[in-house]
Amino acid sequence: MKRESRFWARLLQIGRIFDIHLEYRIMVISMEFSKRNLYLFIGLVTGLIIVVLLSLSIGTAYIPANQIIKSLFGKRGGDGTYTVIIKQIRLPRIILSFLVGSGLAIAGVIFQGIIRNPMVDPYVVGISAGAGTGVTIAIVFNLGFSFLGISTIPLMAFLGAIITVYIVYNLARVGHKFPVMTFLLAGVAMGFLLNAIMSFLMVLGTNDLHKVVYWLMGSLATASWYEVKLVLPYYFLGLIPIVLYLKDLNLILLGEENAQYLGVNVERVKLILIIAATLITAAVVSVSGIIGFIGLIIPHIARMLIGPDHRKLLPLAALLGGIFLLISDDLARSLIPPLEVPVGIITALAGGPYFIYLLRKKKSEYW
Amino acid sequence: MIKMLKIDKLKFSYNNREILKKIDLYLEEREFVGIIGPNGSGKTTLLKNISRILSPDSGVIYLNQKLLNSYDIGELARFMAVVPQDTAVNYNFTVYDLIMMGRNPYQDRWGRVKKEDKEIVEEVMELTDTVEFRDKRINELSGGERQRVIIARALAQKPRVLLLDEPTASLDINYQREIFDLLASLNKDLDLTVIVVSHDLNLSSQYCSKLVLLKDGKIFKVGKPEEVLTARNIKEVYHTEVVVKNNPLTGRPFIIMVPKVQVGVNSRKQDAAQTVYQKRIHVICGGGTGKKIINLLYNQGYIISCGVLNQGDADWEVAKKLGLKVAEIPPFVHIDRESLKYNRQLINCSDLVIVTDTPFGPGNLPNIALLTEIDDINIVLIEGKGIKDRDYTGGEAEKYWNKLVLKKYTHVIETTDKAFEFINKLASP
Repeated sequence: MKRESRFWARLLQIGRIFDIHLEYRIMVISMEFSKRNLYLFIGLVTGLIIVVLLSLSIGTAYIPANQIIKSLFGKRGGDGTYTVIIKQIRLPRIILSFLVGSGLAIAGVIFQGIIRNPMVDPYVVGISAGAGTGVTIAIVFNLGFSFLGISTIPLMAFLGAIITVYIVYNLARVGHKFPVMTFLLAGVAMGFLLNAIMSFLMVLGTNDLHKVVYWLMGSLATASWYEVKLVLPYYFLGLIPIVLYLKDLNLILLGEENAQYLGVNVERVKLILIIAATLITAAVVSVSGIIGFIGLIIPHIARMLIGPDHRKLLPLAALLGGIFLLISDDLARSLIPPLEVPVGIITALAGGPYFIYLLRKKKSEYW
Repeated sequence: MIKMLKIDKLKFSYNNREILKKIDLYLEEREFVGIIGPNGSGKTTLLKNISRILSPDSGVIYLNQKLLNSYDIGELARFMAVVPQDTAVNYNFTVYDLIMMGRNPYQDRWGRVKKEDKEIVEEVMELTDTVEFRDKRINELSGGERQRVIIARALAQKPRVLLLDEPTASLDINYQREIFDLLASLNKDLDLTVIVVSHDLNLSSQYCSKLVLLKDGKIFKVGKPEEVLTARNIKEVYHTEVVVKNNPLTGRPFIIMVPKVQVGVNSRKQDAAQTVYQKRIHVICGGGTGKKIINLLYNQGYIISCGVLNQGDADWEVAKKLGLKVAEIPPFVHIDRESLKYNRQLINCSDLVIVTDTPFGPGNLPNIALLTEIDDINIVLIEGKGIKDRDYTGGEAEKYWNKLVLKKYTHVIETTDKAFEFINKLASP
């Protein structure tokens, strides 16, 4: 008996890392449900580890498991070539995949929550068009590929995204209030405008068309430690406020008026969360191009699995997004070697049908 | 008494349209206040100004003697809870989680649930009778149940003031009563100040201790229900004819709408009739001949009495249904002294007596015999059918009838409709 309760206490401790709500769930609501959540997270973390190992091993050159372990943890290292492939090529790519996948999923959860609309993804407020325009300008005007030691493509993408969202935000602001529907519409309008500019620029610079198109399709082929270092600070800078305001976002789901009645400073929370989600999206887009469907679908899948409480929804979506992009990227680089399929195509091809399947299977309203 | 809410020269406009025009209002602690008024009179806008969703163009609001704007959002949520008009929840939270959200203003950033929070949630579920669906999802509940859950959430905020916007809109009558009973008990037992915006004049009248009647963004009248809900006030604010009665169970005013169709013939007389609704009329009838005139006059707001009638008579049934004063005798029994005495009393305090074209036999003959003895009273004789054809007393009834016809203030009229029109004309100043 005593042993068993200690086991539960330990489980709770582990659970608390993911799910702060777990304790009262177990005590008050039902044991089944929270156990299910716990297993879900344990299963996903295990899955993540397996996928990471698989990703290290497959690719143009197959690397056996013992070599992976030797290269990563061995004192003298393994085979020199393998070590280079693993440490310099595959590991940064895996980390970047996970950051991009989870980042897009997190931003999707936040935007869907704030705007309270299931059709919203991180790109909807003009981020993709802004980043794309920035990149197109860089490529078409041949702004060089290195500027003060920073590659211009991610820089221009990041700048384009941030400037666009800043404009959209100011377009949508009415006095000191900030109606989300106006924000959404301003974002869509701005997106159209920028897409037109982008197309025009592409017509001008037909020689570089394929580069722009390739970037727009989304790819992690350029991944290196440099990109990881580029994304990481913004990723965490955005993540911290998001984690702090998850409870408030739950209340905003009830409607902004209701949230205010319940003591949430709605305007401030909205502003902080939008800035944070934009930061993550812009950082991610700048290194990966436009990878569709993750930011739209993963939040939905997570919501179907665990419900609307953001304190559970967000970590789950982040895990699912990361794993999903990892698998997609593995497929992207191993389907027709040595050629790489842009990973955006894979995510769309895999994500679309799966989403339709889920919609048909769970017809009851989960949103 | 503590001034719980003080509104001083509040003005609010929306798109250059003035919605609230200089509202001054004082509400005390532990009051049960109903804000009523027609559509577009500014009820909800006023409530949203009080709940700080909207901020006024000018004027100030004090809540518990402190400037409303000086509350921070959490502090305000601990002091005042709001149940909004639209309680639909788009996301499928469980009832328990939703009520727990009411504890938000007391929780830290992570929303960690303390023992106290759990106890309070249990307590408010008990109060609002929502314990049974704690594990259900909110969208599985009916409108009335969901309304109780939202009220429970508001109560979990442990507020001292509860604002509600149309809490019974689109609810069945049983839920309406249930919600208002709940509010009344919260007001009484928890010393909660309750401010409710309502369309339903009768519900607010039965439950509220004070009513605020709005018209075109201004306060038309503030006071106890019986002071605010008079036919004259309602006529002026809502432009509609009503009759105000007293609900015998609560002693509060009860409003009866007058359908326009029924008063169609003399709708142009409505205004005049409004001012004379307190006139008393006694109807001598029987055998169903008085049904129509009783209904017409009753709806117009006259105070009607009848007699003497046999119990079970068609006219007796109508009179009883409407709760009129009736001098009555058992079925098939001749009018006796006692009932006649009561009938005389009823006639004596009436302004007008109507005699319908009812058949007269020995049993009800004393009715008109009595009338001949009373002087100086307005009499309306409805003679659709000649007295000869309905005299079953061998000429005696005819004798009395003719006597009545010759009296100074007697008017003989052929049909009920014409009689009704005539009476309204007579009653108007």
